[in-house]
Amino acid sequence: MAKLALLQENEGVRTAPRLIARGLGLAAIALIAGALVLDWIAAEQHVPGSGSLWLYPFLVAAVSAPAVLGAPIVGRQPHNPIGWILVLGALSLAAVLAASPYVWVALYAHPGSLPGGSWAALVSSLWPAFFAWPLAVAFVFPDGRLPSPRWRPYAVFAACSVTSLVLLLVIADQLEEPFSEVPNPFPLRLPDALGFLRLLVWLAMFASLFVGAAAARTRFKRSNGVERLQMLWLAYAVMLIPLGVVCFLLWSLLVGEGGGDAVVAFLLGMEAAVAIAVGVAVTRYRLYEIDRLINRTLVYGLVTASLGLLYAVVSLLAGVAVGRGSTWVTALTVLAVAVAFGPLRSRAQAAVDWRFDRLRYEGLQRVRAFIDDVREGRREPEDVGAVLASALRDPSAELLFRLPASDTYADPLGAVVAEPADHARAVTKVEHRGQEIALLRHKRDLLDRPDLLRSVLAAASLAIEIARLRVEVRLQLAEVEESRARVVQAGYEERRRLERDLHDGAQQRLVTLGIVLRRLQRSLPREARILGPALDSAVDEIGLAIEDLRTIAAGVRPPRLDEGLAAALADLARGAPVPVDLEATHERLPVQVEAAAYFVVCEAVTNAVKHGAPSRVRVEAMVANRTLRLVVADDGVGGATVAEGTGLMGLTDRVEAQGGTLRIHSPRGAGTRIEVEIPCGS
Amino acid sequence: MRIVIAEDTVLLREGLAGLLEDAGHEVVARVGDAQALMAVVAEHEPDLAVVDVRMPPEYSDEGMRAAAEIRQGHPGTAVLVLSQHVETRHALELVSAGGGFGYLLKHRVLDVDDFLDAARRVSEGGSALDPEVVAMLVSPPAHEDTLGELTPREQEVLALMAEGRTNAAIAKRLWLTERTVETHVRSILGKLGLPISGDDHRRVLAVLTYLRASAV
Repeated sequence: MAKLALLQENEGVRTAPRLIARGLGLAAIALIAGALVLDWIAAEQHVPGSGSLWLYPFLVAAVSAPAVLGAPIVGRQPHNPIGWILVLGALSLAAVLAASPYVWVALYAHPGSLPGGSWAALVSSLWPAFFAWPLAVAFVFPDGRLPSPRWRPYAVFAACSVTSLVLLLVIADQLEEPFSEVPNPFPLRLPDALGFLRLLVWLAMFASLFVGAAAARTRFKRSNGVERLQMLWLAYAVMLIPLGVVCFLLWSLLVGEGGGDAVVAFLLGMEAAVAIAVGVAVTRYRLYEIDRLINRTLVYGLVTASLGLLYAVVSLLAGVAVGRGSTWVTALTVLAVAVAFGPLRSRAQAAVDWRFDRLRYEGLQRVRAFIDDVREGRREPEDVGAVLASALRDPSAELLFRLPASDTYADPLGAVVAEPADHARAVTKVEHRGQEIALLRHKRDLLDRPDLLRSVLAAASLAIEIARLRVEVRLQLAEVEESRARVVQAGYEERRRLERDLHDGAQQRLVTLGIVLRRLQRSLPREARILGPALDSAVDEIGLAIEDLRTIAAGVRPPRLDEGLAAALADLARGAPVPVDLEATHERLPVQVEAAAYFVVCEAVTNAVKHGAPSRVRVEAMVANRTLRLVVADDGVGGATVAEGTGLMGLTDRVEAQGGTLRIHSPRGAGTRIEVEIPCGS
Repeated sequence: MRIVIAEDTVLLREGLAGLLEDAGHEVVARVGDAQALMAVVAEHEPDLAVVDVRMPPEYSDEGMRAAAEIRQGHPGTAVLVLSQHVETRHALELVSAGGGFGYLLKHRVLDVDDFLDAARRVSEGGSALDPEVVAMLVSPPAHEDTLGELTPREQEVLALMAEGRTNAAIAKRLWLTERTVETHVRSILGKLGLPISGDDHRRVLAVLTYLRASAV
């Protein structure tokens, strides 16, 4: 809201210049509209030169583009002459363009109907209006100043040339075509002695056009950042100015006429192009990329030319072979052209890219080669960051994948990056189907090449998305595994606490109670000795309760686990209802590994005894290559599976929580062998 | 006998003290942790220290470590360690390192005569090892080859020997004459290849060392 208010206030202050600019722009458009009406009237009477309907769009575009674009620029930057140059240029152009139909109507179609027909013919002769304002733009765009003070003499020269030419045209003996028959109404004439000036001024005018184009090119080459992007547009548009002149001259030389409708159309197109280039550059330079436009033009130009050539060659050769005019020839040539189109287009695209934008061409090539490699399984999608760095020629470039669940970013290795912003580098978002999928941190210079960045990122976006999904899944899996390990670990700790509580709490109380009874028993007076046996059995009961408690506690967590896996397993083997052959390492392992191993063996043995009816069980717990390998094998009935309720399921959980693996080999009738491997890092 | 008691559960500590005092011993100090134990042992130089394994601050094996320290620093003070559960690691080391040490599960106290006997034996330079620990030592998987040669009766005698009992105590326990026990002992020592000695304590140590070495 604050921003909006500020804008309105600004607009209030700038109302006057904006209104004036708008008025001038509207006047220009009104003039050109009137011109079209007059032209139509003249065409009704078949006045030569009138009624070129296909020129209408060019006329309208050439005037309305600078008029429409100039007014808002004045509104936004009233001190920048660019806006004024545009609206005034539009007005002058509209005046010169509208003069011709006025003359047609006033002097030829309905003579006497309109006043000042010969004055209009004079205005229509002032063709430098076509070049004056684009030239001014070329000198001072985009900041309203010359590229450098060094350019001042050139600017003065150009201004003088245009002014002199206009002056010369005003005091000429003869008006310009097509009104050379109309007498010049201006009272003054150029003295014959100064006739040589005419050629000089003409030459100066043409030279000025090239100088103006050079000024814009120079500024473009020197500029960087936003200005470079703005200049990019104009630098290409102003190239049209001298090109227009060359066309104009060539046409004059070849056709003899002072420029036919085609040349006029070209010049009008040039006007519109310059105006549009200026407008876009000032307002929305990031939205369009003229580079791309030119690239496409070149590509399709090349393709069209090549296909034309192909058509000519094939029809010529086929004509020689089969005879002219055969439908076979036509069919053959069309077929040849159709077949050639696809490959030709990609060749032309590659050639144009290679010639005009080596950086992007090679960048895209690298990305595409990488995607092929990923598809063939030769490379991992996670390498996409490194490929982007090389494609963009920025070794510091770094790709961070977005994790939407936590709204954070992770590097290709899955490390979460807390602060993606980087003061030394620029950050560009990568999107895929409208969703932000990654951030690219890169050097700031790349911001000057948004087209390069965008096309390389677009080419890589699928690979980036795949890599992102993989990183995300890996992170989530790691999280789940960690949480399972935590749950299992918490289980072990809870068992330990419970065991402590049983031993240090309940058992101690029972012992204390027993001691109290024993002391009571021993201090009984002789006549109460009869109570002795009752107290004995009470203490015996307490002893049994303690035994029960110790059994429960040992089931919760064998205290001998504190002495190592071998000790705990030895107790387990001793207490088992069937003989257990035990071979266990005496090496100490991380406590959670020992706990997991103990309970795995315990559950496996219990399971074996319960379901397998074995005569012996063999237990191995040995360490090799930093891995604890457990084997619980029995000679029972076999056929054990990991299904719910068999007890083997929980076993799998325990093992996997430690990052281990479990295999069950249990053919029916041939015993069960459970093999577990748990990494123990020792 | 002058005795100190280290036990963090007050009621149990008082019960133990009462039991020992009832039997005519003098309890010179009662403490609740290992540090205080070391202080009173140094102060009183008692004949026996009865020590709980788990004590503050960690409740892990403070009592066992204090016991080792006492055996080393105060040879005149015997130690009887009481534990809530079997923990053989240090117990076996201490028992077989020489006399004057005992290791019993706490609830053995309820068999008062046995307990007092163990206390007396230990304070006289003998040893006492809980039957449950002994059972681990002589269980078949550990010594299938050698102990298998002993007769069941000899195995019983061996277990009682390992507990630290004298021939007389074994005889009483098994309802045998001392001579018969002596014969069994001689036979056992012969089968295990151990030297025959008249000293009960030395004999126990030899048996324990043998069992411990081959139980690895």
